[in-house]
Amino acid sequence: MALPNSDLEINRSGVQSPVAAVQQFIAAYPIHKNYYVRIFVQAILTIWAVLTVTFFLVRQMPGNPIDVLIEQILTQEGISYQEAYDRVAASFNFDPDATMLDQYVDYVGDLLRLDLGTSITSPGTRIIDEIARFLPWTIFAVGSGFLISFVLGIILGMMMAYYRDSALDHTLSLVSSFFTGVPNYIWGLLIIIGPGISWNWFDVGAARGTYDPGLTPGLNAAFIGSAIEHALLPIITYVLATLGSWMLSMKSSTTGVLNDDYVNVAEARGLKDRRIITAYVGRNAMLPLFAQLSISIGFVLGSGVVIEEIFVYWGFGHYLFQAITVRDYTSVQGAVLILSSTFVFSNLFADLTYGLLDPRVRISGEK
Amino acid sequence: MNRRFLVLLMLFALSALAFAPIQAQGNTLNVAWPYQVPPTGHFNTFASGGIALGQYQDLHEPPLAVLMWATGDYAGMVAEEFGWDDDGNYVIKMVEGNSWSDGSAMTADDLMATFNIFRLRGDTVWANMSGIEKVDDSTVKFVMDSPSSLAERIILTTNLRPASVFGDIADRAAMMDAGGDGWDALLQELTEFRPESPVSGGPYTILPDTISEANLMMELNPGGFAGDIQHYDMVRMWNGETEVVTPLVANQELHYITHGIPPTTEEDFANRGIDIVRSGMNNGPGLYVNHAVYPLNLVEVRQAIAYAVDRIQNGVVSLGESGVAVEYMTGMSDGLSEAWLSDETLDSLNTYEHDLMKAEELLTSVGFSRNDDGIWVDDNGDTLSFELTFPQEFADWSAAAENATAQLNDFGFDISARGVQFQQHPQDIYASNFEMAIRNWGLGDPIPGRSYLQAYNRYNGQGDLAGEGGGAGMNFDNNVDYSGGMVNVFDLSNQSSQGVDKSAQAELVTQLAISYNELLPAIPLWERYTNNALNRNFIMVPDSGDSIFANFGGGADNWMTTLILTGVTAPADM
Repeated sequence: MALPNSDLEINRSGVQSPVAAVQQFIAAYPIHKNYYVRIFVQAILTIWAVLTVTFFLVRQMPGNPIDVLIEQILTQEGISYQEAYDRVAASFNFDPDATMLDQYVDYVGDLLRLDLGTSITSPGTRIIDEIARFLPWTIFAVGSGFLISFVLGIILGMMMAYYRDSALDHTLSLVSSFFTGVPNYIWGLLIIIGPGISWNWFDVGAARGTYDPGLTPGLNAAFIGSAIEHALLPIITYVLATLGSWMLSMKSSTTGVLNDDYVNVAEARGLKDRRIITAYVGRNAMLPLFAQLSISIGFVLGSGVVIEEIFVYWGFGHYLFQAITVRDYTSVQGAVLILSSTFVFSNLFADLTYGLLDPRVRISGEK
Repeated sequence: MNRRFLVLLMLFALSALAFAPIQAQGNTLNVAWPYQVPPTGHFNTFASGGIALGQYQDLHEPPLAVLMWATGDYAGMVAEEFGWDDDGNYVIKMVEGNSWSDGSAMTADDLMATFNIFRLRGDTVWANMSGIEKVDDSTVKFVMDSPSSLAERIILTTNLRPASVFGDIADRAAMMDAGGDGWDALLQELTEFRPESPVSGGPYTILPDTISEANLMMELNPGGFAGDIQHYDMVRMWNGETEVVTPLVANQELHYITHGIPPTTEEDFANRGIDIVRSGMNNGPGLYVNHAVYPLNLVEVRQAIAYAVDRIQNGVVSLGESGVAVEYMTGMSDGLSEAWLSDETLDSLNTYEHDLMKAEELLTSVGFSRNDDGIWVDDNGDTLSFELTFPQEFADWSAAAENATAQLNDFGFDISARGVQFQQHPQDIYASNFEMAIRNWGLGDPIPGRSYLQAYNRYNGQGDLAGEGGGAGMNFDNNVDYSGGMVNVFDLSNQSSQGVDKSAQAELVTQLAISYNELLPAIPLWERYTNNALNRNFIMVPDSGDSIFANFGGGADNWMTTLILTGVTAPADM
């Protein structure tokens, strides 16, 4: 490729300066004008901004890791403040007197080396190991709940729209409105108190945890069965808490599509209902929900905090909650990195794939 | 097809749960304490994050002795004989014949290793010690700078750790000068040290494979201390704080908790036939004032506040039967007051019984009067308007603050109560950023002088230690002038735990008690009593009147672990 006619900076010795070389490269390959590159860089900058704000915000929270543990020990053990301080200060890998700027520079330096650091409150424990311990369970439970809820919501929402003003529509609308209005932690508590304690349908203690102790994690039936069993209550809770909004959204979207001309034409052409529902109505009605789903995925990891505490199903939500509670700054930063990355990249994914699902967007983009 | 599959899957899983057999209770003791699961949680109990299990640490890392609170005497556990020698050093002879779960014998080396690690950590006990010497395989001498009841208590309530695990680091620490070359690196090595598995010297051993966020299992360790007198084969340690363990107690899966529970939960448990065990904890909420704020620095005003607040009502409103009004107002619990003060002294104390007339007289005596609205006005013409802060997440303290505010306002003060995030609240006190506040008085410690550490030390100039604020706290001058003369109360509180002559200590404690009673630097409201839920349908322990229940112990001396270590606790169906 021939170089464009740009102002080349050649110094007197005839060697091109680095700045000029970069300018020349950009001029030759204007990647900054590339849509995909631009939104990827934007995503990285967004994550960096979130991490920076988080870094300083968590340090503005009341107390620090040492104070928090001192208070815990004082409450639990009834020893003097001096004893508690001596014990805690010596066992922490944390200097409360270090300047925030120094800490920030260290943090960014470690991050650039892909090192999330070690926990403050459990010195020597790598953040990446902790995240690897907790993250998969949240993805499994919340992800499963989300998927089930989405699929059920789509189906029921379409049925409501198709049979609008019928008894089925009225009943499902009422149910979905009720489901939408009850927050997930209430569902969690109701499940524990009703079927768990009052009716003894299940053993509250045995349902806790992510799998039965003594099993070896891996692709074996015992472990998989146990993991599904332990995740069931959180999954049911997530489904109950989110199903209503998917149903209502799908009903609204489908109702709009049903009034479109091309549906009337399809009916006039005598196409079978099943084909109209799947190829004409369902696909188009789902498009707005797809964007909503992509954005919601970003919330998946952060949405389990309370549920994981209620069911003692320790995943990423518990990890973040615990880290904030004990002011484990490095753990909070690691968790926020995962959260913000998930959120930003799920949006990015939605942007990139929406065109594939909706030809109108693709064509419009090409024009 | 998808829908059918999902519905079937959910039904299958629900039925699996619905018909899951209740975990066999068998010969298992079900108790609870919060812990972190690996990798955050680990088996180095010297380091933050270690799975120590609170008072249940006694079951895998046994204590040297336990104080029997009712008598004031220590009962030997791993320490068979213990006491001061003629040179003022403390000597401990350990019980022989016990072994750790890794097969190593329990010897004096373990005690040496434990205390050498304490030295590396900078633990307080070394402030009184200049060295530690192994006399023979079962005897250790603690070389003391000066004998003290405090040092004795810290030594005896220590949980023993295995030299087979910590000996290497401990030996290297013993060879070093504190703070010298390599000291910090060794300390870091200690905090980052992760034993592969737990090694127990007590009657039970943690089974690493059973650790989950729900619970962990401890199996009988027959060779460990008291391992041969146990009635349970296993201990199941449920994990979690109050809100997490409450359903398990209600469901009868968990049979004993030391978690503080609200009165409504207490009532529900009682309806289910669960016993509530109450023991005084030697501490509770008090009304702190900033002595730099006029006229709260006037003793008459503080005394008037003490008269104006009905402490019985305040305690009941806040914590039901476990909120027991303080009677003697000495800065110590009533139990410690009765144990350490003579009858004559007790009779001479002002108990500040609820009396609005006396409160009125006191304020009038310093030139205060009421304005047209009935609000008190000081001698400068300013209304007695203050802000009272409290940690908003603590339900009982919040109730105490709101009730005290209401009572004082009914009397003619103009107080507004404001909740503060619980981790911020102590920082505000350290930094003197308050007028009135609810904080804790007393300490869960049998040494009476230490009860005063809150008022005279922690909340009075500890900002530098707390890491933030650096303020003067409540701004109380520890050099006080009272009916007994001029004394420095902070020095007194320290001196009262030094030496081993109890009568000499009692004299100092008497001075502390009387001066506190007269000056009321902070106003104790009520003493917190435990409300341990105990399901006697599953656990057999002595009846509620037994003196062992004086051992409330959140950390050391807990009555349940003491009964386990002495082979008393047993299944109810035995």
